[in-house]
Amino acid sequence: MVRAVAVRLASLVGVLLLLAIAVFLIQRLLPADPVRAVLGRNASPDEIAARRSELGFDDPLPVQLVRFLGDLLSGDLGTSLRTRSPVSADIAAYLPATLELVFVATVIALLGGLIVGVLSARGGWLSGVIRVVTAAGASAPSFLLAILGILLLYRQLGLFPAGGRSSDLLATSTPTGFLLVDRLLAGDPAGWLDALHHVLLPAFVLAVGSTVAIARVLRGSLRSVDSLDFVRSARAKGFTALQVTTRHTLRNSLNPALSMTGLQVGMLLSGAVVVETVFSWPGIGAYLSASIGFSDLPAIVGVVLVLGVAYVVINFVVDMLQLVVDPRLRSA
Amino acid sequence: MPDPSTDRIATAPSRGIDEPVCRVEDLTVDFETADGLVRALRGVSLEIGRGEILALVGESGSGKTVLSSCLLGLPPASLKTTVGGSVVVAGVDMVNGSDADRRVARRQTIGAVFQDPLTSLDPMMRIGDQVAERGATRARATAALEDCGVPEPGMRLRQWPHQLSGGLRQRVSIAAAITAGSSTPRRGPGVDTAQASAGDGVPALLIADEPTTALDVRVQAQIIALFARLRDEHGCSIVLVTHDLGVAAQIADRIAVMSAGELCEVGSTEQILRDPQHEYTKSLLAARIDINRMPVSITERSRVVAERRDDDALRLEGISKHYPKAGGRRGEIFTAVDDVSLTVPAGGSVALVGESGCGKSTLLRIAAGLTKADSGGVHVAPGSGRPQLVFQDAGSSLTPWFSIGQGIEERLRVQGVSRREAPDRARELLAQVGLDARAAGARPRALSGGQRQRAAIARALASDPRILLCDEPVSALDASHASRVLDLLDELRASLGIALLMVTHDLAVARRISDETAVMYGGRIIERSASEQLFAEPREDYTRQLIAASPSVY
Repeated sequence: MVRAVAVRLASLVGVLLLLAIAVFLIQRLLPADPVRAVLGRNASPDEIAARRSELGFDDPLPVQLVRFLGDLLSGDLGTSLRTRSPVSADIAAYLPATLELVFVATVIALLGGLIVGVLSARGGWLSGVIRVVTAAGASAPSFLLAILGILLLYRQLGLFPAGGRSSDLLATSTPTGFLLVDRLLAGDPAGWLDALHHVLLPAFVLAVGSTVAIARVLRGSLRSVDSLDFVRSARAKGFTALQVTTRHTLRNSLNPALSMTGLQVGMLLSGAVVVETVFSWPGIGAYLSASIGFSDLPAIVGVVLVLGVAYVVINFVVDMLQLVVDPRLRSA
Repeated sequence: MPDPSTDRIATAPSRGIDEPVCRVEDLTVDFETADGLVRALRGVSLEIGRGEILALVGESGSGKTVLSSCLLGLPPASLKTTVGGSVVVAGVDMVNGSDADRRVARRQTIGAVFQDPLTSLDPMMRIGDQVAERGATRARATAALEDCGVPEPGMRLRQWPHQLSGGLRQRVSIAAAITAGSSTPRRGPGVDTAQASAGDGVPALLIADEPTTALDVRVQAQIIALFARLRDEHGCSIVLVTHDLGVAAQIADRIAVMSAGELCEVGSTEQILRDPQHEYTKSLLAARIDINRMPVSITERSRVVAERRDDDALRLEGISKHYPKAGGRRGEIFTAVDDVSLTVPAGGSVALVGESGCGKSTLLRIAAGLTKADSGGVHVAPGSGRPQLVFQDAGSSLTPWFSIGQGIEERLRVQGVSRREAPDRARELLAQVGLDARAAGARPRALSGGQRQRAAIARALASDPRILLCDEPVSALDASHASRVLDLLDELRASLGIALLMVTHDLAVARRISDETAVMYGGRIIERSASEQLFAEPREDYTRQLIAASPSVY
């Protein structure tokens, strides 16, 4: 067990290192010149050369790489060209909103995937209806769902707000930056419900595709496990279909669905860029799209790194969950 | 059909003479398939007495498994199924009764054991939880494990299935099957409590579907002894579903022979084996490959081949193979094959026998060039071509979307046969293994197991090899197909001079097919001699144990 965790932890560190190196190389290979972007169009060649050597761009690539990694370790992601403030500070300001949105979306996708997966694996007419509806939902792009959601649920029915994190537009979130956590800490149940009300629609729109993906994997897994001998043994012991599913089939089908959830979190993080724009969600997606328009390389690299780290860490958590679910993996 | 009740009394007068535990009346099962209605059971009537072991014997497709699942009230759910007639177990109708009644009967009255111990336990539930799942106490679960011969039962409760060997897992399955739910406090609406239990919470009826087929012969003998104890000590009735009359002969009080969904013959074990009435029973007995009875032609064959053995087709010298130990610490190794040398004479046949894990399959894979040995050499006689492999499961070794002909043509094309000639040559090869031209156009799924194995052999012959390496080639086949496939291999040896190296766990198969037999244990060949001599006068104690544990009807 200890060894199984250690092996996965070591590979986590390895993947993070590779990610940092890849980001560094892409940054150097891009045609955009960060020095020119800082100094503007009218800078003289001398000025540019002086600034280049000052920023260390003339050093050999390995030296630059080591410096880049060293800066990363000390939490220094450079200064944003657009906002003129440290990228790490910008990300610290915007990331919690995105993580909150993605977290709620993940919960929706996981629970929805479980329910839809189990129901559609049972067969019968309900399973057919569910499959048609989910296929339609999954094939609609998320911006379309977002706009439809706003038109229907906000404009026509008035059930959900159209955007933002809270009814109070000036609300700041301290100390954690996660509104749902902060308002709980502040003992503000009405404010908490308001925040939840705001996050539900964007999170749902974001989660639809992942829900379907997880449900499909779970359904396939449930159906193949269902034909295994130990399920027959459980039926022969006189349990009801529901008992057999919850006691045996589900746990044995969980790991492929968990793998899919880990992969989908990556989709959710990148999908957040689109959904945040439609719902004016003040997250890192909005920050990223603004930075891209400005060729703000330090900001883009910072966001990509942070999202990459989030993705890798989440998949590490998935690995750990799989160890909990399947005792056979612990001896490997 | 003889009256079953008098038979039982005749064979086992000391056991119960009261109401049968289970009465099957005019049971008919139909499956709706894409090709129309298939009748799996045709009006089967049968009684199972208290404390008797009834063996349900038949080949694949005979309906024996369908019948056993009807006894559980769980007819196959994958197809649309219509069930007629009745199955009454301890007062509950397992066909027409309500779902709840049938579930209660399964919880309290019936235990079930299935074929593959590796898959019939939930890999993600601890042993103790699975044994006690029907509401037994921890103490009761421990007692059941102990009863089933599981060593250190208290410690096992916390273990997971993958930490146990196949034989132990089957004992755990049986322990779980005989740990029924308590019958008094949660008495079901329709269950006849007096009949529900054989005593001590052991269910009155145990249904075991090929419970020893996946196990080594020595373990099989132990499990069979365990069933006998359950019958004798707990008065448990057992339905033993098996394809092997030899297993039935070892333990059953009565044997019911099934074919094509019908009960051909029911009688005492003695009567079925010594004085079979039905033609089908006779053919089953005749087709059985039995360690104690060989066809006359076999002894002659040994002599013919003995004259040829001047040169070796295949020579293995000092082969060793190590693997990292599964689940062991870094650096710990498992020696699968330990300095083994073996020769197969041209046109000769050598059988490698041994229990699972003894290294026989690894050695065969090394001979085939599929696995690289850590040390030692594989020498193939010049001009012999690459040795060809025939696997146990022809179903999965043939590409499912190729027709049989295409599969063989693909091999031929690799050998340089032109596109125009390949189909004709493929048909010749199929004719050689006794398959007609129609088989060339069929997909593997459309063929029977025996036909598929023939097709696999034809494909192996495509490169005109001098050596065939066979890994349990008949283990998955019914007796009648198995003996015909063995005959075919023998013919190929005689007509083409092909040498055979065959791995098998079944000593009867080894005796039937091979001039020489080598016994493997722990990665080494511990005994090797001419087959007749080895079976007549085994030198090693281990060989004697294997021979003694092999089921036989003689």
